[in-house]
Amino acid sequence: MADNHEHGDSHHVDYKKIYFTLLVLLIVSVVGPFFGVLWLTLLTAFGIAVVKANLVIQNFMHLRWEKRLMKWLLGASLLLMALFVAGVAPDVMNHEGDNWENLAAKAATERGIDGEVEGATVEGEPGEGVADAEQGEFSAQAAFNSVCAACHGQSGSGDGPAGAALDPAPADFNDPEFWAERDEQRIVTVIRDGAVAVGGSPLMVAWRGTYSEEQIQALAEYVMTFRPAGD
Amino acid sequence: MSFAKPQATLRSVTGIPTGRLAIWWVLASEVVIFGGLLGSYLMHRIGHPEWADAAVHTNVWIGAFNTFVLLTSSFTAVLAHQAAETGDGKKAAKLLMLTIGGALTFLIVKSAEWTMEISHGYTITANTFWSFYYTAAGLHAMHVIAGAIIMGFVAFDAYRGRELQRVELIGIYWHFVDVVWIFLFPLLYIAK
Repeated sequence: MADNHEHGDSHHVDYKKIYFTLLVLLIVSVVGPFFGVLWLTLLTAFGIAVVKANLVIQNFMHLRWEKRLMKWLLGASLLLMALFVAGVAPDVMNHEGDNWENLAAKAATERGIDGEVEGATVEGEPGEGVADAEQGEFSAQAAFNSVCAACHGQSGSGDGPAGAALDPAPADFNDPEFWAERDEQRIVTVIRDGAVAVGGSPLMVAWRGTYSEEQIQALAEYVMTFRPAGD
Repeated sequence: MSFAKPQATLRSVTGIPTGRLAIWWVLASEVVIFGGLLGSYLMHRIGHPEWADAAVHTNVWIGAFNTFVLLTSSFTAVLAHQAAETGDGKKAAKLLMLTIGGALTFLIVKSAEWTMEISHGYTITANTFWSFYYTAAGLHAMHVIAGAIIMGFVAFDAYRGRELQRVELIGIYWHFVDVVWIFLFPLLYIAK
């Protein structure tokens, strides 16, 4: 080993002591926030993280005994990282400057995060949001006209304004060919799980988070009304 | 131990064994990868105070437990290095297996944690906070998986008294994975 570890046996680190110091620091960083003092939380969280990282890097990774070259190497990559952060931070952390304004970021801050998460959560009854917002009875036709029609068009021909740019184009429910291989069950599946569930386009997303099973059934029945007669 | 192998594996013009030089090069690039990611998170977090509402849902106890697991696995990794230095390959291999055990514990806890969060609707697409959360912790978890697999190979050789210098190399990598988590822990779990 000697030829490979010229620095090998020369350093006597009490690894156990370092390890227990790290555990004590971990406890401090967990306890810190309980005092509810902001500066103390930041100090115990990030200050201690720096101390812990330094203990590991110096003693476990043996950077203390490495040649200077190695320290320069790591220093250079830390510097590059700091340059990136310093260069980008003013634009990311502020939402407006002298000649610009980040409307999307401002809107996100305004909107808050809870509203967004609740849309995605499965807690509570799905469909509460949309149906309750419209107060009272769920109308498949109203939901279709306000949501689905954006792409599929109110007439169901796939000519909605938002669908114009889509590739593949939204399905045309008035086309007999569309119905050649489709039944109500399949429409239910596609509305609930998205078209990818049947190997279709990912642009038709899943709506199970927005509508309840009954509402999806009602929507499918409404879509069936577009089916050309005699087919 | 005999080292009948190409010169390049044993020395370099820098005076640092090539393997160790290489692992530090890898880590220098990892610093930029993780540093860039965590730096971006920090900037967004400061720019978006509303993220605090999402951050309250991370579980500090699970995070603290996993920090404890990784610190302990770092400890066993450095003891493995110590054993390898004295030429005790068997002991080094056993300590490396303990380290792998730590990696597996970490991953099991992480999957339980993620399952719980995803079932509450906190998915990677829920909002930007959770996107960062899953990206940073996911990239870190991939490093844990890679480290555990490589450590298995190193332990296999070490047990037979072969390639003992690699015990130190995988250890250096493992400590780095630990250091990344040391910063992820306060960023994602403590600062609410």
